[in-house]
Amino acid sequence: MSIIQTSEPSAPRKSALPKAAGKVATSFVVILTTLLGLMMITFTVGRMVPADPVIAVIGDQADQATYDRVYKEMGLDRPIYVQFAGYLSDVVRLDFGQSIITKQPVSTDLARVFPATIELATLATIIGAGLGIPLGVIAAVRKGTWVDHVARVVGLLGYSTPIFWLGTIVILVFYAHLGAIPPGGRIYLYDEGIVQARTNFILIDAALGGHWDVFRSALHHIIAPAVILGYASMAYLSRMTRSFMLEQMRQEYILTARAKGLGQRPIVWRHAFRNIRVQLLTVIALAYCGLLDGTVLIETVFAWPGLGSYLTSALFFADMNAVLGSVLLIGIISIAINLLSDIVYRFIDPRTR
Amino acid sequence: MKMLKRALLACAMTATAFGPAAIAATPKDELVIAITMTTMRGLDPHEINQLEAAEVVANLYDRLIALPPDNITDPQPSLAESWTISEDGKTFTFKIQQGVTFHSGNPVTAHDVEWSLHRLVKLGLAPSTDLRQWGFSAKNVDELIRAEDDHTLVLQTPEVWNPNLILYSLASYSTSIVDATFLAGKEKDGDWARNYLQTADAGSGPYSLVTWRSNQLLIADAFKDYWKGMPAMKRVYMGHVPESSAQRLQIDAGDVDVATRLSSTDLSGLERDGKVTVQKVPGFGFYYLALNQKDEILSNPKVREAFRYLIDYDGLANSVMKYYGTKQQTIIPAGLPGASDEMPYKLDVDKAKQLLAEAGYPDGFSKVYFAQPGTPESELGVSLQNSAAKAGIKLDLQIGDQIGKFRSRQFELFSSRTGERLPDPHAVLQSYATNANNADDAKLSGLVAWRSAWDVPKDIQDMVIAAAHETDAEKRDALYARINETYLRASPALVTSFQRTDPKAVRHEVKGYVGHPTWLTRWDTVTKSE
Repeated sequence: MSIIQTSEPSAPRKSALPKAAGKVATSFVVILTTLLGLMMITFTVGRMVPADPVIAVIGDQADQATYDRVYKEMGLDRPIYVQFAGYLSDVVRLDFGQSIITKQPVSTDLARVFPATIELATLATIIGAGLGIPLGVIAAVRKGTWVDHVARVVGLLGYSTPIFWLGTIVILVFYAHLGAIPPGGRIYLYDEGIVQARTNFILIDAALGGHWDVFRSALHHIIAPAVILGYASMAYLSRMTRSFMLEQMRQEYILTARAKGLGQRPIVWRHAFRNIRVQLLTVIALAYCGLLDGTVLIETVFAWPGLGSYLTSALFFADMNAVLGSVLLIGIISIAINLLSDIVYRFIDPRTR
Repeated sequence: MKMLKRALLACAMTATAFGPAAIAATPKDELVIAITMTTMRGLDPHEINQLEAAEVVANLYDRLIALPPDNITDPQPSLAESWTISEDGKTFTFKIQQGVTFHSGNPVTAHDVEWSLHRLVKLGLAPSTDLRQWGFSAKNVDELIRAEDDHTLVLQTPEVWNPNLILYSLASYSTSIVDATFLAGKEKDGDWARNYLQTADAGSGPYSLVTWRSNQLLIADAFKDYWKGMPAMKRVYMGHVPESSAQRLQIDAGDVDVATRLSSTDLSGLERDGKVTVQKVPGFGFYYLALNQKDEILSNPKVREAFRYLIDYDGLANSVMKYYGTKQQTIIPAGLPGASDEMPYKLDVDKAKQLLAEAGYPDGFSKVYFAQPGTPESELGVSLQNSAAKAGIKLDLQIGDQIGKFRSRQFELFSSRTGERLPDPHAVLQSYATNANNADDAKLSGLVAWRSAWDVPKDIQDMVIAAAHETDAEKRDALYARINETYLRASPALVTSFQRTDPKAVRHEVKGYVGHPTWLTRWDTVTKSE
């Protein structure tokens, strides 16, 4: 997980700076190599899928002359390594090309769809962690009691229930029968066009513009998909928390703490829980990364215009610029979250400094 | 434990604070349409080749001619208030309406029409076939299509064609008239403003584009200066709802007025519930099975014939195809000249086995079968695979987008569907029944007959060409009837089973939303009742 290496505390002060610079440079090279490898693999796999990007543009019934012309326009007549090199040189200039589906620059598309996914994934993670961690802690502390059994069943259901099915059932019950949630999308269609897109985070934009009706509309829309995703996250996080906590509760320092007369709450929260924070952070970061690129099913069910559905339709129609741009973004975000976790480790665990 | 309680309480409070949220009905002066935008590729009328985008373009732009959905073969004036055809049948003179304006406020003139049709031909993209097939090319179009003055446009065809073919072409979405003056300021590097028109409009239609976000939504507002009067629906929303079940729930709850991509199961359910009318909009195309004639076994006429007995026409018609097609075994779509309702084939495994034995394959054979993904194509594929297995034919069914392999003849069996833009038998026959050069390097990949490597009998091809040039309606009808009959008896390599229909579910309170067979469904005719 950790990419930034920690410096040796005993190293002479003189050589500390160049050494740190060297490590930052190494990290930088590793990141670049990772992204380059990611793009190479995606590019190659993209060329192997049976979908024909030219047909996606011109339609099935176009004649050969049209096909040949568009084939050339899209640069597909060049050798694959030339295409890849051309793409790379554009990426360096922050030009990710144009999507053949949306006819927009990929960067514009990503700026539109990615905030939708971040909003959903963030709220889902807050719900998942907010419920899953306490549930896991309690299940560990009360191991073998009914609380632990309930937590285990809840976790098992969260793991094993297909999210697509759950989403459909939630819509059926809470939208179609109870009228308690909206049908899908980020806001009601009638609210579209009211809020000025500043950040493309609809909740933030609506709040900034003082459009509280739209803000309410956005909250209505996000709750159901976020709760479903959050439930899956909660199941995972509660199981992991329980497992980490059980391991800590068996440690000798817990026995010592009990021996010196500490109450259950300080033992659990001040001692045991404090020691699982680094592991938990890793798990939460991984779960969050998974949500950023893995929400496609829930996005489909709830017509949520996020990165998952954008990437999926791009894959179906061999829209390689969109696929590569999305994969690159996911790669960068994953690396950024890992780096952020590393930084946070250093604050919460002195041993990593 | 307390912390868990607190967390649960917070969730409960959040949920109740935002309370019941569903909206019961769409506003009376707004129309909400649920569609699947996945295959929408821009909104340039001279570039698109797709059903949903065509419906949008039909409302953002007007064309010289209009084809009423209930009388599709009767060309009516639109931007052209009248027209005359010269005695030799090669010169069409159109009088353009005065007083019509584009959304920009510019007047619509014959020069805009000239520029638009030149643009279509010179861009040379897929829809340009609508004019190119009559002999127009980038080289001759300047000479053959020209504005005589602000209100007169002359169009000359290099050869004599049945005049309806030309008029139908000028009613297609591909011949939409764009605002030449406005687009002059939007051109970049001589691109004919192609980049601009992908996500914007420059039309004179009843609606102007407000916004389009791919795979999300499209909003269009009524054009208050529309020459036929401002439409009743002041705003139209198209929402991307990819899931059929979600579309069903939303139209059932009244959150959308029209749903356009529903499965047969959901359409049946909606019809039962009684809140919607399901329109089966006839399309000019077929669900077909292509047998590659480069394959020794599949090129045997008896094997081809055997496959005609392996399709469960009746079973599919009552289930998967209930809304997606009507049984049709001949090659001219119902409602067009020469159409026939003859249905000589039915599922008959014994007959298929007998034909296979006569062909020298009593124990059957194995082949790879590509079926296009999605409903109902994949279900059709599974059904054929099952029937074929009973006759001893093992089909390795591969469902996926393999159209590229079909276009390049790299397949054994392939099934999909087609849809044509002209309400004339020629549109279908040109693709299914002409193949001027069956060689691989001829690359006539726009024709499904060539893709199937089927050397169409010469008498059929000659009749198809003759009928396109025939100007006498009676003679033409008779010719098409003969073509239809001859094609049916020819054991074609393209087995047609169902004529395509595109289902649309429309709530009862919505009036005047009438699905158009050539994808030109209009919103300006829509009203809503209580």
